[in-house]
Amino acid sequence: MIETTFWRGSVPRVRPLLGIVAAASFVVASYMALVWAPTDAVQGDVYRILYVHVPLAWLAYLAFVIVFLASIGWLWTKRPVFDAIAVASAEIGVLFTGLFLVAGSIWAKPTWGVWWTWEPRLVTTAIMFVMYVGYLLLRSLSPDFSRRATRAAIFGIVAVIDVPIVHLSVLWANSLHQLPTVLRASGSPALDSAMLLTLMVSLAAYTLIYVYFMSARISLELARQERSWATT
Amino acid sequence: MTGLGRIGLVAVRELRAERREPDGIVAAVTFIAVLVLLESLVVGPVVARDADIAPALFWIALAFATILATMRSFDRELEDDALEGLVALPGGRDALFGGKVVAIAVVLAIVALVGGLLSLVLLDLPLALPLHLVVVVVLGVVALPPVVVVDVVLALRLRARAALVPILALPVLVPQLVAASRGASAAIAGDAVGALSWAGLLFAFAVVYGVIGLTIVPAAIE
Repeated sequence: MIETTFWRGSVPRVRPLLGIVAAASFVVASYMALVWAPTDAVQGDVYRILYVHVPLAWLAYLAFVIVFLASIGWLWTKRPVFDAIAVASAEIGVLFTGLFLVAGSIWAKPTWGVWWTWEPRLVTTAIMFVMYVGYLLLRSLSPDFSRRATRAAIFGIVAVIDVPIVHLSVLWANSLHQLPTVLRASGSPALDSAMLLTLMVSLAAYTLIYVYFMSARISLELARQERSWATT
Repeated sequence: MTGLGRIGLVAVRELRAERREPDGIVAAVTFIAVLVLLESLVVGPVVARDADIAPALFWIALAFATILATMRSFDRELEDDALEGLVALPGGRDALFGGKVVAIAVVLAIVALVGGLLSLVLLDLPLALPLHLVVVVVLGVVALPPVVVVDVVLALRLRARAALVPILALPVLVPQLVAASRGASAAIAGDAVGALSWAGLLFAFAVVYGVIGLTIVPAAIE
């Protein structure tokens, strides 16, 4: 039995404020990344793309973990809001993973001399991207709401196993990619304090953008669900 | 009847259907034989004999053969309207995933045997550790079907599902394909520890996806 009462909450009322805060934090993070943070002694200014690349990577992981949790929520409760959360997070996750790959390629060209190389982190990230494009394709080919949500939820649970594989691939295999510099098993971050602060501000700014996108996309999906119920 | 008994029944039923109409296994065996023959033509005989290349191509072929055999198995159910009857039986929904996985693993073992022998003979591969290779192949054959059966069930009755299933299954199968290829390479090259380590990883993936499939696939069967 599907729960057809639509969750509204107070999110639509605070969304404009959330958008303003996200935009302001993005401006601050961009200023810190481009102007305030010191130039890297080895890589020069090209390293500054890290302040975009790392937050995009973090949000891609977060988005797909949210898909996983929302998928469990749908299978458990059959409440449409969980399906709305899953599709919103999957779409934003695919967008951020695509940007994460592009940002990585832009950094790789001056640093490694190539736009793309067959090394574990890049390949597993590209596979994760394709996997969630498949998730969206599966949704688009399923006409019935309940069946679509269930099929997508099962794939969302299966696909999440790739997230730790992507993250740990640099440790498991000989990799050209830089090893973790912030969350290190050996201790404190291997990063200058100004660089670390800039990275943390960038992470916060991009996370706020993710939350804003999520609130807008979930509202849109709930409106779509409501309309489809009204017409059937 | 216990859950295992029901899974056994579904597997036996599936294998009987395969024996009566062996088009799935014939298609998969022919497919892998053609790929083994094409391999040396496309990449050249010297490269094809490489201990890293031959197993990689073999396992990619086997992944496609798994998709082919699994889709054929479900097509047969749909053609005969047998799926509804099976699902309607007490415990049928729960046993479907396990039974299909067991039956397709058996079919795949035959396909792997034929494909493996063809590869060894035609490519004249020097095999240092045959028993280790058998362990890797057996665990690889067990590790592939759970993922493919889940994806075929998800794409059941959807248009364009012939294109959708490989898109869904192959990215999820990457760790299994890497482990099976590296394990077989290690067995061919004489690295016993490497072969058994990769075999262990295959076992872990088989268990993880087996448990996921048994837990959530019944929800996907309509």
